[in-house]
Amino acid sequence: MEPDAQLVQRCLRGEGSAWEELVRRHSRRVYNICYRFTGNPAEAEDLSQDVFLRIYRTLASYRMAYGGFPTWLTSVTRNLLIDHYRRTRHDRVTDSLEDVMPKVEEKHSPVRTPDKAALASELSAQVQSALSRLSPDLREAVILRDLQGLEYNEIQEVLSVPEGTVKSRINRGRIELARVLQEMGLRPE
Amino acid sequence: MTWTCVQIEERLSDYLDGLLSGAEQREFRAHVDACAQCAPLLAQVTHVIGRLRTLEPEPAPAALVSKILDQTLGPRKTKRDWFGWLPMLWQPRFAMGTVTVLATLLIIFQAAGVRRSDITAASLNPVRIFHAADSHAHLAFARGVKFVNDLRVVYEIQSRLQPASNPAPNNAAPPSAPSQQKSPNESQRNQSTNGSLTFVATLIPDAPTRSPR
Repeated sequence: MEPDAQLVQRCLRGEGSAWEELVRRHSRRVYNICYRFTGNPAEAEDLSQDVFLRIYRTLASYRMAYGGFPTWLTSVTRNLLIDHYRRTRHDRVTDSLEDVMPKVEEKHSPVRTPDKAALASELSAQVQSALSRLSPDLREAVILRDLQGLEYNEIQEVLSVPEGTVKSRINRGRIELARVLQEMGLRPE
Repeated sequence: MTWTCVQIEERLSDYLDGLLSGAEQREFRAHVDACAQCAPLLAQVTHVIGRLRTLEPEPAPAALVSKILDQTLGPRKTKRDWFGWLPMLWQPRFAMGTVTVLATLLIIFQAAGVRRSDITAASLNPVRIFHAADSHAHLAFARGVKFVNDLRVVYEIQSRLQPASNPAPNNAAPPSAPSQQKSPNESQRNQSTNGSLTFVATLIPDAPTRSPR
């Protein structure tokens, strides 16, 4: 597989196929970050397009000093998400943690055991609902660490904050997320 | 040093991510094992992180890539793929129909006597196909009647039902062709054919019966 840095160089020489390869390689990851942050598939799709449009227009300004291409891409994604959040927070009904959190209804004696896909889908929905209850700072930290699997130093580059701040946000985000999910009925077996 | 619950909560992620030193880990565990508040918190956070890491990434919308490429590289000409519809035929609903059509064509060509190496445009003439199928059908019927009549059990039944109408095999000689030397088997077959016709005729109430010749 051709390295991202090489694809970027080919893009800068005008090779459309290199850009297409970059898009195909990273679109799903960018979409997932946007989706987990916004909780809305349509918004996530629009924001993903905006991310790649921004990347395409500023590709010439990319330098290896920014870190790897994925880190730069994640950083641009995060910045657009925060901008989107600030623009739309007045339109949101509520994002307060003090709101009543929905409880997962207990299903009594299903005729047949739910299959793995259904359970995974239910968990995904629960996690999404719980993530939406976190503040943006804690939400993005948990998404980058536990859903995207970034290391602490990578998250530090993306967020442009000190390492101590990264650790603090991840820790508080995890604890808050655990408490929300516990109230929604997700507990250790 | 004995850790407090506040310290345990502050260093929870460090513990889970393996960022504590050996001594710190021991002190951490010592407190958690003895604390009714911290133990369930650690269990819950560990459980949640474990479940998060099992989540599969959501699939991106199918049109996302093409939309991005259209916005950045501009609308692209789609090549006309003359055979792009072929993979669609291999869906289960189309595959069943395709197999049925092929089987039907095979049967038609078989009935028409068309060989794979001889297929021409003229082979698909409906009149020709009909005549060929008709002759094949008659031939198959005649062979079937002959087969049934040649069965010994049929002959036995016929001879028992109408023994007087069946002359002795050795004396049988068709008067119309005295020069022809017929074998006893052939004579028997003639008689059995005539006999079978007579037998069938007897089943029909008003059908006239013919004497065997």
